[in-house]
Order: sequence, then C-alpha cells, then structure tokens
Amino acid sequence: TYLNDFWEKGRSDGEEQSGEQQQQQQQRASPARPSFGKKQLPSIPKNAVPVTKPASPAATAQLANGTHASYGPFYLEYSLLAEFTLVIKQKLPGIYVQPSYKSALMWFGVIFIRHGLYQDGVFKFTVYIPDNYPDGECPRVVFDIPVFHPLVDPVSGELDVRRAFTKWRRNHNHIWQVLMYARTVFYKINTMEPLNPEAAVLYDKDVQLFKSKVVDSVKLCNSHLFDQPKMDDPYAISFSSWNPAIHDEAKERMFTHKRRPEDHQKGLQVSGLSWVKPGSTQPFSKDDNPPQS
Amino acid sequence: MASMVANGNRDGRQGEALVLKGVDPETCMIVFKNHWAQVVKILEKHDPLRSNTSSNMAALGVIGLSSGGPMRFGGPIPGDEASAVQNYVEHMLFLLMEEDAGQAGAMGPILEFVVMENVMERLFLWSLRRQFTDDMKLEQLKMYEMIVGQARQPLLHHKPVLRPLMMLLSSCSGTAGPEVEAELVSLLNQLCCVLAKDQSVLELFFHTSEDQGAANFLIFSLLIPFIHREGLVGQQARDALLLIMSLSAENQRVAQHIAENTYFCPVLATGLSGLYSSLPTKLEVPGEEWHCLHREDWLQMPTLVQFLNSLEFCNAVIQVAHPSIRDQLVSYIYNGFLVPVLAPALHKLTLEEVMTTTAYLDLFVRSVSEPILLQTFLSFILLHRHENVHILDTLVSRINTPFQLGTVSLALFQTLIGLYCEDVMLQLILRYLIPCNHMMLSQRRVVKERDFYSVSAAKILALTPSCCSPEHSPPPLRQLDSILWSKGTDNSPNTGTMETEESFLEEDGSGYSCVIGSEIYLDVNYLHYLYNARLGISSCTRACQVWSAPYDGEDPPPEEGRQAQTTTDPAPTNQLELEWDDSYDAGPVVSPEAATAESSRPPQPPAAEPPKHIQEMRRTAIMLVKGSYIEESDFQDDVMVYDLVAKKDARDTVNSSEVIKGSKEVKAHVEDHNSNLQSPLATEVGDDLMDQYEELIRTLGSDEAGTGGSSPVKTVDKEFRNPVVTPMEEDEVDFSSFSVDTPELEKQHLSLFGTKLRSGSTKSHSVPFTGPFVSVLLSRLENMLDNSLHVNLLLTGILAQLAAYPQPLLQSFLLNTNMVFQPSVRSLYQVLASLKNQIEQQASTKKDFPELITSAQHCLLARESSLKGQDSRECSPPEAGRMMKSSPPPQPKTISLARTEVFATVLFTEFLKELAAIAQEHSILSHVPMEE
Repeated sequence: TYLNDFWEKGRSDGEEQSGEQQQQQQQRASPARPSFGKKQLPSIPKNAVPVTKPASPAATAQLANGTHASYGPFYLEYSLLAEFTLVIKQKLPGIYVQPSYKSALMWFGVIFIRHGLYQDGVFKFTVYIPDNYPDGECPRVVFDIPVFHPLVDPVSGELDVRRAFTKWRRNHNHIWQVLMYARTVFYKINTMEPLNPEAAVLYDKDVQLFKSKVVDSVKLCNSHLFDQPKMDDPYAISFSSWNPAIHDEAKERMFTHKRRPEDHQKGLQVSGLSWVKPGSTQPFSKDDNPPQS
Repeated sequence: MASMVANGNRDGRQGEALVLKGVDPETCMIVFKNHWAQVVKILEKHDPLRSNTSSNMAALGVIGLSSGGPMRFGGPIPGDEASAVQNYVEHMLFLLMEEDAGQAGAMGPILEFVVMENVMERLFLWSLRRQFTDDMKLEQLKMYEMIVGQARQPLLHHKPVLRPLMMLLSSCSGTAGPEVEAELVSLLNQLCCVLAKDQSVLELFFHTSEDQGAANFLIFSLLIPFIHREGLVGQQARDALLLIMSLSAENQRVAQHIAENTYFCPVLATGLSGLYSSLPTKLEVPGEEWHCLHREDWLQMPTLVQFLNSLEFCNAVIQVAHPSIRDQLVSYIYNGFLVPVLAPALHKLTLEEVMTTTAYLDLFVRSVSEPILLQTFLSFILLHRHENVHILDTLVSRINTPFQLGTVSLALFQTLIGLYCEDVMLQLILRYLIPCNHMMLSQRRVVKERDFYSVSAAKILALTPSCCSPEHSPPPLRQLDSILWSKGTDNSPNTGTMETEESFLEEDGSGYSCVIGSEIYLDVNYLHYLYNARLGISSCTRACQVWSAPYDGEDPPPEEGRQAQTTTDPAPTNQLELEWDDSYDAGPVVSPEAATAESSRPPQPPAAEPPKHIQEMRRTAIMLVKGSYIEESDFQDDVMVYDLVAKKDARDTVNSSEVIKGSKEVKAHVEDHNSNLQSPLATEVGDDLMDQYEELIRTLGSDEAGTGGSSPVKTVDKEFRNPVVTPMEEDEVDFSSFSVDTPELEKQHLSLFGTKLRSGSTKSHSVPFTGPFVSVLLSRLENMLDNSLHVNLLLTGILAQLAAYPQPLLQSFLLNTNMVFQPSVRSLYQVLASLKNQIEQQASTKKDFPELITSAQHCLLARESSLKGQDSRECSPPEAGRMMKSSPPPQPKTISLARTEVFATVLFTEFLKELAAIAQEHSILSHVPMEE
C-alpha cells in the first residue's frame, strides 16, 4: 500500500509536487549513473503548458521510421508500470521495492529474511531492467553489500538470476518472479555453479563455518543499514532509527489501515448505481426495488 | 387593525414594543381587558343571536363557510364601528404578542384571557359577519401570520386560537384571489415551520380539523393545489410541503395520512404530465450542431423551467419523505407520467417531435439525482414496452437516423452511459457479452488477461494515417517535445541538459515542464490523453464498486448469461419492429438451420406490420427525403411532410370522409404551426389533461368539504390511470387514416438508408451478436468520413466513455486487439482499420489533402480553446477535454465544415490516441484493487 501510494504520487500527483521540489530532486540527481539514465516522464498537471522546444533537424530524421518511434517510450514506461502493479499485487513476503525517481528501469529494493540461515538479515538491493524490456535479457539483481552466499558475486554483489530465467519470455516472465527468486535463495541454498565458490564449498563441506560466516555477513549488512543510500536518488530506500515523533504516527496508521476499506466506502459517496441482484443478470432484480406498477 | 397589519408597519410595531418593555404585565392586562370590553360591546350589538357560547359560534362558522357567500346578520355594520374594533384589536394583538410566557411554561395572563374568552374565534366570526371579502381574509391571514410568527409563547397549542385559524384557512381555500392565495401560502409555510420545530403541535392539527368536520391535517391539504405553481407562491408551498415531508420520515402517522388520505402523490405526479403537455412539442433548434438542452437553452423556456421545478420538487420529496410516500410517488410518476405521457410522446409522428421528446428525456435524466427516482426513469427506458417494443430498443435504433434525431439520441446515450449504472450497461451491452459467444472459445481465458506491453495501444496507434503522423505537423498542431530518453552510454549528458532545463523553468515560470533532451521526440499531447484516461478510468472504477459482478467472463458465468439472454428477450419479433432497422445490418446472417430452430419455438404473435407510429415515422422520413431532400431547413419544419401527405391523398382519391376531415385538420395544423410553435393537437391534449387535473382538485375539494370519503385515493386512482392515453390515441387516429399502402415508398426507403427491413426478424441469440447498441455505434463510426464533426465528436466520446469502463468483458471487446472474435462479430479495431484504409485512399487521391488537414487541425484547435472559455456548460461532454490542447494558433486558412472527411481524419487520429491512452492506463490501473 505504501509503495502504491508513493507510486501514485510519483506518477500523477503533479499538483502536489511543487516545481521547486522537483528541481531540487533533479539537482541532487545530477551525478548520473552509468547505463540506466532514463528520465522518468514527469507528471503533467492538467493546466500546465508543456515547454516546447523545436525539433532539431537531426532528431526529426531519427523519426523517419514511423509513428511508433514517438510512442515507444510510452510503451516501455507502461510495461514497467504494469510490472510494478503486479509486484504490489503479489504481496511478496518481506520484499519491498520502488522504482527510482530517475528511471523506471531501475528499482530499489530491500528484503527481510525472517527465518533460516539468514534470519534477521536485511539486504538492500537494486534491480536493473534492460532498456529493451521485455524483449531483452533477464533483469539483474545487485545487492548493495555482497552477501555471503553461493549465488551472490562476492565483489559486485550481483545475484545469479539468469540460472532461473535462462531465457526471458514476455508475457510469461515477470519481475515479481525475479524478486521471489531473490528471496528463495536465502531459504533454499543451491551450490551448483556458484558465483561465490568459497561459500558453496563451505556450505557443502563445513556448514558450521558457513553458518558463522553468514552470521557475520548478516551483521555486516545490518550495520550498514542506516548508511546513506548508495544511489543518490530521491526514491532510494533509506533507513533511519526509530523516531517516535515521526514513526509512531505512521505505525499507528499502518495498524489502523486494515479497517479502512469499509470506512472508505461509507465516507466516500459512490457515484455508481446498481439495482442488479448479485448472481442475477436481470436489471432491477434487487429485492428492495419499489414496485413500478 | 387592517391599516396597521395590512401595511405591515414594522417600525410602528417596534416602537410599540419598546414602549411596552417598561410597562408591567398587570397594566398590559388591564389595557387588554378594557379594549376587549369595548370590542365586545360592538360585537354583541350586531350579534343576531346575542349568544356567547362558543359552540354556537362554531356552528355558525361552519354554516358560513359552506355557503361561501358574504355573511350578514342584523343589517350592515357602520364603518366607524368596524374601524373602532380594528383599532382595539390592533392594540390587543400587540399586547398578546409581546407577552412572555408565565412560569414553568404556563400561559401568560393575556393569553389565558384570550383562551378563556374565546377572543380569536369571536373576532373571526365578526369578520365573517361583515362582508367576508378578500380584503377581510387578507387582514385575518396577516393577523395570524404576525402572531404565529412573533408571539413569545406558543399560541397554537390552544384550541381557541387554533380552531378559528383552521376555520379561516378552510374558508380561504379554493376561491380566493391571487393576493389571498399568496398570503395563505405564506401563512401555511409559517405554520409548517412551527410544526417542524415543535412536533407537539402536530397532534392538535389533526384533532382540531376533525372537530371542524374538515379534512384531517388541513394545512397539508391546502398546500397541495399550489404544488405546481410558478413563482414565489409555488416555491413557498413546495418548501412548506418539504418540511412536512421530512416530518413524515419520522412520524408514521403523518406518512400514513399523506399516503392514504391525501392526493399528494397523484397530484404531484400527474401534475408533471400537465406541465409536460404545455412544453413546446417542437424545439427551435439553434443549429445543426445542437444535440442537447443546456442550461442556457432551458432557462429561455418558462414552461420547461416550471416543469424542472416540479421535477426537482419530486426529487426532493423522494429524498426526504417516508418510504411509503416515496414509493407511492415513484409509482405514480411511472404510471401517471412516464408510461401514459412520455412513452407516447417518444413515439410521436414527426422526427422533430420525437427529437424534442428525446432531448427532454435526456434533460430529465440529467436533472434527477435521487437514486430511486433515477431508477424509475431508467426502468422506464430499459424495461417499458410501448406497443410491444422496448423503449430502449426504439431509442437505440434511432441513433442510426440520418437526421438530428440521431444526434440527440446519441447525446441521450452519452448521459445514460455516464451514470455508471450497472443496469443500463447490462441492458445495452454486457448481457450480449456475458455468454462470451462473440469470441472464439479458446479466447475466454484472454478476457481477464492484462496487456502488459501496451500491445493493443501500439496496434491502435499504428492505424494513424500517414498524412497525420507526427512528423507531418509542425507545432503548435503537434507538440513534439523531446523528452530525454538517454540510453546512458556516457556519464555526463545530464549535466548539459539540466542547465537547459533550468533556464526553461525560469522562463516558463509555471514550475512545470517536460524535461528537455535531445534524443527522441514525444507527442506531448499524448500525455494529456493519458492523464485524462487515468482520471476517467479511476472515477469509473470507483463508481463501479457498487456493481453486483465484475463481468470478467467468469462472473456472471457465460452459461447463465445465455439463459438470461433468452429470457430477457421476450420475442424476436420485437426487433423487426424497430424504426431504423438498419442498425442490425452488422448482425450475423442466420443460417437456415438457425431459422428452423427459431420456428420450432413456441409460436409468437405474427409480426405482420410494425406498429403504426413506426410506419408513420418511416413514412414521414421517406416523404421528407423523397419530396425534397434539399435543404436542412426543410427538416426543421413539418409543413413539407403534411403537404406531401395531402397531395398524395388527393391523388389516391380516397373517398373516406374521415380522411378528408383528417386532412383538413392537418391543414389547420400546418397553418397554426406556422404561427405558433404548438400544434393545436398538442394543445388539445394539454387542455384535456389540465381539465382532468382541475377535475381532480375539484374532487379533492368536495371530498374534503363532505364526509371525507372512505377511500378517496382509490376513486381518484381510476381517473388518473389513463389521464392522457385517450387524447394521444385520438392524435394517432387522425394520422392513421393516411395509412394507405405506400409500397413504392417503402422500397425507396430501403435503398435510401440501405435498410434490410426484415433482418432483425430471424435474429437468434445462439449466433454471436454483440447487441444492437454496439452494432449501431460501430455502423455510425464506419461512416465517420461522411458524418458531421459534431456527430463524430459524440460518437467517439461515447466509445471512449465505454472503453473507460473497467469490466474485462467490455475492455477486452473494445480494446484488446489480440482477441480473436467470431467471424461474424465486428470489432472496434476492424472498423478503425477500415477507416484508416478509407482515409489513406482519400489522401492519395486528393492532392491538397495535407494542406486541408492542417487547416482542419487549426480550426479544431481554435474550437477547443473557445470551448475552454465556456466551461460552465451544464452537460459537458468529454469532447471538451479531448481535443488537442494548446494555446490559440495563428489564424489559419479557413476550411468549410462540410469537408467532413478532412475533419473526420483529424478526429480519427486523435481518437486513436485517446483509445490507446485508455488501453495503456487500463493495463496499469484496473487490475490493482482500489483499496490497496
């Protein structure tokens, strides 16, 4: 829910997001990262007049390949939005993600491990989606801090996702599956063709040592939890210690939230109409219809 | 008394009040008693019976009332004596008004004296004894209005005050002049206010009137005749009645009384019929573009304003009244207005009249807000059958008329679809989609599938005609902003663009801007479509939360839908009776087997002839077209039709005297029509209705004066059952005498409108069919290039409205371009594709096409910005927000609106974007549960 709210804000709530704020965010974002620098389409408030810049001849030439070129970015944007709504729908246990401000192709995430060898681990990660999505490779998952794990590259922190999605198939594969996989690896350890051979060998040969290494790794990760986000992005996930002044209220709201749907329906004047009895396909079949004749 | 009260001399009263403030109550009492003693002297001098007992006086009062004439006993009363009484009473009333209640709510001494001595009743009888003129009534009414409104202690609780008031009220009913009526209503209004504040008075109102032999709850009954009055009087009466209505919601007795013993509901409902009959039967339409009654239209029509006032009052009553009253009223509106008046009016004989009625219906539906009343209108539209044809089917078929009727019908459906009403959508479209017959069996699972990669949007946008593709139109027609879409191969491109952007922001000053980059140029106006699509879909999705089912191909189950289809469609014969049957030309061709299956069904009544009104409508249209399909103005006037009818009559040498009589009447009609908007026939109908209405009021009056009647509602009921049907039938008789065979005309009709007249007769629902509404919409869309601009705006508006509905059945049918449908089913995408081909053809054959397109784009942009200026339009169709948004362009070369194909091409391109945007938003919106 929280993520969804955020997303709504990011996408369409342009009126609330002041220009000043936007500017600040963009300034902060200026040292751009390699490979994923797509700008997210800013929200267009209803009455705003878009700034128009005459097309340069060079750019016009690029358009010659037809109408599609003008809309291609929209298709990509919406494909990713659709993926994101799917993730929300899945309600993956212990996994939270949100797309970055600067690019819909880069998502920030955090995973909470609640039991097993990696219990109490809180691992931040970033999902990189290829810009020819959904026709390209599988999205990549890179942990901020390389977790000690057979399938996590000890240097780059990248999780070996490709073994689970050898070929990325549109309509068949979805990003939530990748996230799901990223969670599963911490509960079911696989040591085949490891990216971290040391971890794989230890797991197979000396589980006790493996366990203690994992505990150390979890400790290390958790000790960096409150660090500034690695990415300078307004939507990067950052942790801060509990501050009752801020968090108590938020917590309260989260716990009372469950009751909201009903209240919501009562409070909000629903504009739709229906006199169809559930289970019927006849108009005006509800019992409490006043008689007409 | 008269002088002061009648003049409403407030300053004088206040002055007096100030004076009284210092005076002690005992002195006031003494003054009051002295005055009264003087008054009594004069009163008794002229009292023929010299009696002081109040019962006698009451009896006298009643006699006086029933005879109604001026009352005189013992000769004329000298003027000086009358004015002396007046002066005394004036002072007495002030003393009464200014008196405070005693301790613990006891009466003050003056009031106690008034009650003991029966002062008010004696004063009333005194005024009866003098000539009981309107002036006298006015004087008395004002007197009560003053003391009821301003007394510091409750007066109405005391019978000696209340009873003469009741006598006065009943004596004022019926015959009084406008001034008295105004004062009467004003007093009644005030009494209702007292009632609303203090319900304990209510009991007394019931009992007191019983004592008087008058109808119970007199103040209510007295208000009824003013329900439909225009002006202040009507408004005050309606306000007062509303107070009682909200009282009824809590008070069972009041509710029961109103529902069972008064004519409130029948008067209210059939009054609508009366007011309706005085509406113009033909509207003077401002132009071809006109398609619905806007606020500024109907404000110019006093009769329509009056009707809407009464309709609004019905709406308010239904909102606040007790359910028993509410249900009764709704039932009377249905049976006393919609069925007997509106249904025949929707089937009048000329296109213009029918068009007018349709516009009224649209306005009424838009004016009603209370769900139960709306439901009454909707169930009339959806389920009522007039001459065995569903109103809905008739309305749908009219969309296809090539006249303004078609446009107005489209506007009505725009209103209906905008209600987000499940029942409407079920009848119009969904019930045809539930069985999933329209798609290949293997496609059922696709219904709920989400279009993850905007494939449908891409396919729709790919239909953009080459002459309209983004590269061809320079700004401001197409705002191609370059939105940075950097692939990020180097680390530093942002720094440069950021600077540019900041300078842009400064220049712009709005705080908003698209990010300017250099790589790919995007159609910014598409962002607006996305934004609007998002708004549209979210509000629709939210509204549809009250619906009974998701309509996703599983719930309701397809099998059930099939059953429902057969049961809701009462007879296949219905469909051939539709006026403009070519709406079905998109329907499937039925195989012989299916036809045989059809015949094995239980026998249906033979469908030899369509109903008369339909034959007539067709005929008039044919005449119009055959006689002179020359100028638009001809359609504005039925003279031509009648002329043709008359000529044809003469040729046919029919010697039926009835026909001759009839044609004379028509001529008279025509003449009158020229001078007056209203036809004499319509006036006749109206008069008749008004007669009945007045008759009712009379019945009401006599019943009340008499014993009260055992069950008045029932007797009235009979009268009200068919108040208008008879005159309407007469209306038709005149014209049906012309119903001589016109076979050649029928044939021409066929060729003119490309009609397959009988195509509906063999329709079977085992054959895939997406319903007449979709079918007729797509037919009209197919002719987009020939349609006028405003028809296309309405048409595309409705389709976009439908596409915004979140139900997967609807969405998959309209927007999913991957869906495989049955060969006989025509899809929106198919129609769009064929339009693209037509456009490409046009573009290739006409040299100046690109130039014309540019002119049309400029023209539409100008139109858009002028529309934005007048946002106050009451029914603002989505069209206002859907054309290109931009600042006004430089004045372009003008282009005639008659170049429909050019405008249609521009609109088509925009429509594609609109649909694609809706498809894209659906892919990310409607599958996310709203509450999460």
